[in-house]
Amino acid sequence: MSGQNIWDKLQNVDRRVFYWILFVALTVPFLSPIGLPITITPSSQAFYDGIKTIEKGEVVVLSINSGVSAWGDCLPAMVASVHKVYDQGGKLIVWSIGYTDVDITWAKIKEKLPDVFSKWKEGEDYVYFGYSPPQETNVALLRDNIRAIYPKDVRGVATDQIPLMKDINGANKIKFVLSSDTGDAQMYYVRQWKNGPVNYEKTEKPPTVAELGIAMNKSGDMAYFLSGDLFGLVAGSRGAAELEALTGYKGDATITMDSISVSHILLVLAIILTNISMFATRGNKK
Amino acid sequence: MSQIYKREMVFIVTGVVALVMMLDYFFGKNIPGISGAGNISSTLQTWALIIQLMAIGLGAINLIQVHYRQISRKTNMAVYSAWFMGFFALLLLLGFYKLATGVELYPYTWIFKNVYVSLGTTLYAITGFYIFSAAYRAFRARNIDAAILLIGGIFVLLANAPIGEVIWGGFPLIGNWFNNVGQVPGMRTFTVVGALGLLAFGFRALIGKERGFYSEVQ
Amino acid sequence: MGVWIILDTKFVALLLLIAAFALFYGYMTLAKGGMKIKARAFPAVAAISEAIGRAAEMGKPVYYSTGMGQGTLNNQLNGPQTLAGISILGYTTRLCAKSGVKITYFTPIADSLPLVEETMRTSYMAEGKPEEFNPAVAINFQNEQSPFLTASLGWIQREKPAASILLGGFYYESVVLGEAGNTIGAMQIGGTANTHQLPFLVATCDYTLIMEELYAASAEISGNPDVLGSLRGEDILKFFVLILLGLGFILALVNNNSLISLLKV
Repeated sequence: MSGQNIWDKLQNVDRRVFYWILFVALTVPFLSPIGLPITITPSSQAFYDGIKTIEKGEVVVLSINSGVSAWGDCLPAMVASVHKVYDQGGKLIVWSIGYTDVDITWAKIKEKLPDVFSKWKEGEDYVYFGYSPPQETNVALLRDNIRAIYPKDVRGVATDQIPLMKDINGANKIKFVLSSDTGDAQMYYVRQWKNGPVNYEKTEKPPTVAELGIAMNKSGDMAYFLSGDLFGLVAGSRGAAELEALTGYKGDATITMDSISVSHILLVLAIILTNISMFATRGNKK
Repeated sequence: MSQIYKREMVFIVTGVVALVMMLDYFFGKNIPGISGAGNISSTLQTWALIIQLMAIGLGAINLIQVHYRQISRKTNMAVYSAWFMGFFALLLLLGFYKLATGVELYPYTWIFKNVYVSLGTTLYAITGFYIFSAAYRAFRARNIDAAILLIGGIFVLLANAPIGEVIWGGFPLIGNWFNNVGQVPGMRTFTVVGALGLLAFGFRALIGKERGFYSEVQ
Repeated sequence: MGVWIILDTKFVALLLLIAAFALFYGYMTLAKGGMKIKARAFPAVAAISEAIGRAAEMGKPVYYSTGMGQGTLNNQLNGPQTLAGISILGYTTRLCAKSGVKITYFTPIADSLPLVEETMRTSYMAEGKPEEFNPAVAINFQNEQSPFLTASLGWIQREKPAASILLGGFYYESVVLGEAGNTIGAMQIGGTANTHQLPFLVATCDYTLIMEELYAASAEISGNPDVLGSLRGEDILKFFVLILLGLGFILALVNNNSLISLLKV
């Protein structure tokens, strides 16, 4: 348009220009990794400290409440957590509250941990139950009676016949829940399990909950972490990369950190540029 | 059922269910017959699950209706609707085959893993690009409030990226303060007022004053 | 059992709940009896009619969605948001029917479909245009977020709605739909009670209903004095909560946790 200088044009750049610049910039670190160090935030450290307390034979629930679309944020944290549970000698129960693609996610976790699942025996060290409907009432029922929701596991084996589940039918035998979320399922566990009527037998305290969620959940969940409702909070790729650094199993999240650095720097530069152009044109308009 | 009792039945059912669930929550196992496996509250919760699962079937019918209309009227989207119906039928048949025989055919797995998973991940990745353009538009220091938001946003961005601490050690320090302390009172406030609003809304719905969502004209 | 009830901290929560309900009911009764309740007008609600007017002038449709809402109405946090969104949908549909504007509703929540169809049908009937209602305007995506988003993006790009109304329980689709609307220059009205999505709706929408405003908006639209009375009761309750917060803060300074123990559920 006539009369528009460079600063006016900068304010009205077609967003597709940014998308192309971002796309190209994001691919560079994948081809040539930078490998910058990361500091650990208190919420990730607290999560790691929490799972380090697992004793041999203690049972932990991994509730996969995130879909395949959130693999970038949630999958690395789940993989690192499962590996740590294995290292600590713990046992794992896996289910999903409301995500139909949980089978693929669980298959991917197993694919990422061949050293764990070559030694772990299904039914004795871990059990996978699969999908259940996305409701808080479901979580309340699981607290009291797992068999009501899962009379059998995905292999078709009756829950009563599964060695791991022999004495387990509710939250009273479960140390804590690791909830991988894109939504609010972690709050179902906080309300129904942690603040519910059942205590974990071994400690006489309520089973606790940790969140392995997407980055968007961090701001809302931080209040629950600080109040003690969540014993740990691993949010987004950054949280997952911190967990990988703590557990020592560098994975996808650590690789993604370089791309995150690039994208964030680009965004900051874009914001600075648009503000400079705004101030430059403000003078002209006056 | 007579139209006269349509509204009253909604109130009665809502009221009874709400009473049972509140008794279950507040008095736990101390009222016989209400709490625990097999009793009223768990039965009602199971019914709620069943109704929700039935609704999925209803949703499928809605989808078929919508796309069938496109095809029958030969609109410009009819080709895509036909494509959808074709895949719908294919996956339905493959799913029923798995139910009947227990065998998951390779096309079923292939479509789910290579089409659905890839597309879902792509959609989620698009969020990043859209956040970029939204931030480009929103983070402009038009006034003091926007300037404070801008500065806080830059610190949080650079705290989240490892390159931030390479540039200056203060970025993660201040940015994490914003994340862990600064924004928490605001989020807590939102949560509390949201809960109070929800309480009032729920009360209005319980006593039948909130009628907009069951076909009362506003 | 009597002693047990008094000592159980959930009993305190029940008392507070009953007190809150009594407060709401009290003010609703007072308002119905003639007490004047002045409620702040929500710019976002007023903007709905402006948005419909814009759509009528441009001859373009309106996009409406209540978001992912965790895929079900039976959800503690998102179900009421979806219902609040459907309440406002009824009002919006009525305005659209009056102005001759086409409105299309997208949702991934299958169990909301009967409510939505009935709400929209009733709105068209109220305007004397039942024949203009087409059940195809409510489109469901089977509790799946990605198909819902893809279809919405495609529809927005093709139909280029003049207004996009996003009121309900949103998740990451808030920023995608908001930006999609911005790309085509639609007037956008958003609102959610999901704290993690508020920043995105505020950044992308022209008008926003924040947290409790989403629930209060339908009260404002109805204009019933007793319904507005519940808003007054809610505001009084906020004062009590502020007093409790202040008390808790002072007690915490002297290391006294009695209030926390009393209110803990």
